[in-house]
Amino acid sequence: MATIIIDGQSFELPEGAKFNAIQAAKHFGIDIPYYCWHPALSVVANCRMCEIEVGTKDPATGEIKMLPRLVPGCQTPARDGTVLVTESAKVLEHRKNIMELLLINHPLDCPVCDQAGECGLQDYSYEHGRAAHRFVEERNVKPKKEVSDLIVLNQDRCIMCTRCVRFTREIPGTAELHVMRRGDHGEIAIFPDQPVDNPLAGNVVDLCPVGALLDKDFLHNQRVWFLSKHDGVCTGCSTGCNISVEENAGKVWRHKPRHNPYVNDYWICDEGRYGYKAANSPTLLGGNYVLEGKDHHGVPTDRFVKRLNETLTTRILDKQSVLGILSPYLSVEEAFAAAQWLASLTNRVELALGPVPVRGEDLTFAPDKTKGRSGDTSFIVPRPFTISAEKAPNRAGVEMMLDHFGKGAVPFEKALESVASHPIVIVFGGSPDESWIEADQVAALRKAEVLVLFDTTINPLADVADFVAGIASFAEKSGTYVNRDRRLQRFEAALPPREGVWPLLDLIAIVSGDGKAPIRSQEILKAAARVVPGLAKVEDGLVPELGLNLDSKDQPIPDAGFQDDWTLANVSTV
Amino acid sequence: MRSDDPALKKMTPPKLTLLEQSYLPQILGGLVVTGRHIVKAALGDGAVTMEYPEVQHQPSPNYRGVHRLNKDEQGRVKCVACMLCATACPVHCIDIVGATAPESWTDREKYCQSFVIDELRCIYCGMCEEACPVDAIELTSMYDLSGLSREEMIFDKTKLLSVFDLTKEGEPMKSGIVPPASSNRSRELVTTPTTGPVIERQQLV
Repeated sequence: MATIIIDGQSFELPEGAKFNAIQAAKHFGIDIPYYCWHPALSVVANCRMCEIEVGTKDPATGEIKMLPRLVPGCQTPARDGTVLVTESAKVLEHRKNIMELLLINHPLDCPVCDQAGECGLQDYSYEHGRAAHRFVEERNVKPKKEVSDLIVLNQDRCIMCTRCVRFTREIPGTAELHVMRRGDHGEIAIFPDQPVDNPLAGNVVDLCPVGALLDKDFLHNQRVWFLSKHDGVCTGCSTGCNISVEENAGKVWRHKPRHNPYVNDYWICDEGRYGYKAANSPTLLGGNYVLEGKDHHGVPTDRFVKRLNETLTTRILDKQSVLGILSPYLSVEEAFAAAQWLASLTNRVELALGPVPVRGEDLTFAPDKTKGRSGDTSFIVPRPFTISAEKAPNRAGVEMMLDHFGKGAVPFEKALESVASHPIVIVFGGSPDESWIEADQVAALRKAEVLVLFDTTINPLADVADFVAGIASFAEKSGTYVNRDRRLQRFEAALPPREGVWPLLDLIAIVSGDGKAPIRSQEILKAAARVVPGLAKVEDGLVPELGLNLDSKDQPIPDAGFQDDWTLANVSTV
Repeated sequence: MRSDDPALKKMTPPKLTLLEQSYLPQILGGLVVTGRHIVKAALGDGAVTMEYPEVQHQPSPNYRGVHRLNKDEQGRVKCVACMLCATACPVHCIDIVGATAPESWTDREKYCQSFVIDELRCIYCGMCEEACPVDAIELTSMYDLSGLSREEMIFDKTKLLSVFDLTKEGEPMKSGIVPPASSNRSRELVTTPTTGPVIERQQLV
């Protein structure tokens, strides 16, 4: 067992962990401040904020030998017998001085800076800095510039930690950013006419510990302390990146990545990052509609349910059969509840999978531990990041339900051919994209005598369906998705369901008369786990924070869950 | 603190004499004060009330009345939409929509596209004034605020700026410090856009 001594206390290092001093201290609840270090990037030790006193304990004699000077914690391996002193007068004085130097040219424009509230400089200058500014010379003010269509660089706020430079070199490997000139003249720059253009570009904004790199999409819109963060899972592709959905005043304002070493590490792609816009889309269905003649008429839910049930009951009594189509955008719980309801209607029911959008090919960024990296790489655990070609979050989970309730995952095209033999077609949609269905597919489905649609957007199928029920969008529902690696991940609702619309789980409970809304997705998951063999692992309905691999056991990851301190604040004043 | 805590000092009300128990001395004492005021008001100018609205009340200099949004020397709104007032506001009566400032405003990068205060919800505590880093929002001595509907009492940016125009003569800006003007600004670009998007009621909640 490796023992490390931090501030006079002994701690046992976890098995297999290759920590540096910052990680080790953090693991035991002791904070060492840092800016330039990031667990996924190589160590350059250029901000000097994490410098601490370091020594070694001789295992034979028990004698402790300290190094004469302060040493960067990010570069110090935590080994058996390592001694760290993080709170001595020398260290505290040093932090004060470093803060003063970092802030020499930094403007005092926190009131108009979007980073304020989740800013490393604000947090550390409050904790470690001086109250007064002693620098009387004129500040070195560098102009603002744009590094891409979506990212703006406020050079006056930059502290030259080079996290962004290392990111573009080491993770996507595109190396658009570099450091130009040296010392006081140093600045982050792009090559002429070569903006930061890679699918992961937005991550440099999250990496920036200060307000230098900012997202133009979010610029000047909100103050971060007004935002409420909700743990979500990205619905953009089957990778299922862990995201934080941040909302205020009934609108989602941004998506930020959440660390999950089994899925997305620290990153999300730009498509997922800006996918939040679908939650605020004006084309979301705003109620329930019934087709009368050629027009759809909005009806309240009680009347809608009554008419739907009357229509279905008479037709099912006439021994008409039902075709149910479950979209891969449904959560596991929704797919279960929908399939269960259809199965309870009649035994002449066929289930099929909705269209699974596939665009391009899987794009994997597999950073090497050392290749393409410049600094000290000994603490890096390289993890690949994949953007799936399959652009739906829960095909695996819906297929599990189709296997259990139907005859496996019947593809959408095949289901369209069998519309002729099923007078009743019930479609459960949920795609945030209005164009998820083609015109010829709509025509094929319309051949059914009764076409029922549960969906989120106003789309071509909603234009022709007999019954159209608006359901909660991806940001308005909670539940679980199964990603491409068969990892079950929980997401929570960020917004309440919009006016006039129910979450699908509640609507099915009302239509089937099985329960009283509101329905808790956890209860449905519990019920599903009892009957669906693939879900047996979640019999209590509880999904761990980092998700649950349905097939195999996860290898434990000692540094899982590490996140920069300053991004963790969730202070809502409202 | 527990009720049997030894540090508690127990007090008993003073015993009243028989005369005091009749309350007559206190009543007579009160009548004497009333009588003194009647005589003063009848004989001289000793009245403590005033004939409002013919006579206008002058509140003290630190009175906290209707808000105003200050303008800088170029007539632009001083607010930089940092939303610290909305953050400090204990009743959440301030709603601001920030936007990137026009290119020509070289001294700032952000301004308020819309600035709405619900004057009925406001408790006039003055925290917004305290929080403002650019002295853009101030409480004036205007106290006779009235309206015929609730909507009328939701003040938007135009209205708040007009309060500044109304009161700037009598009450100069408290800070008095105006940000230094750059030389290269053209006159026509400095007019403040006063119409922002219509703020719906629910956004204020």
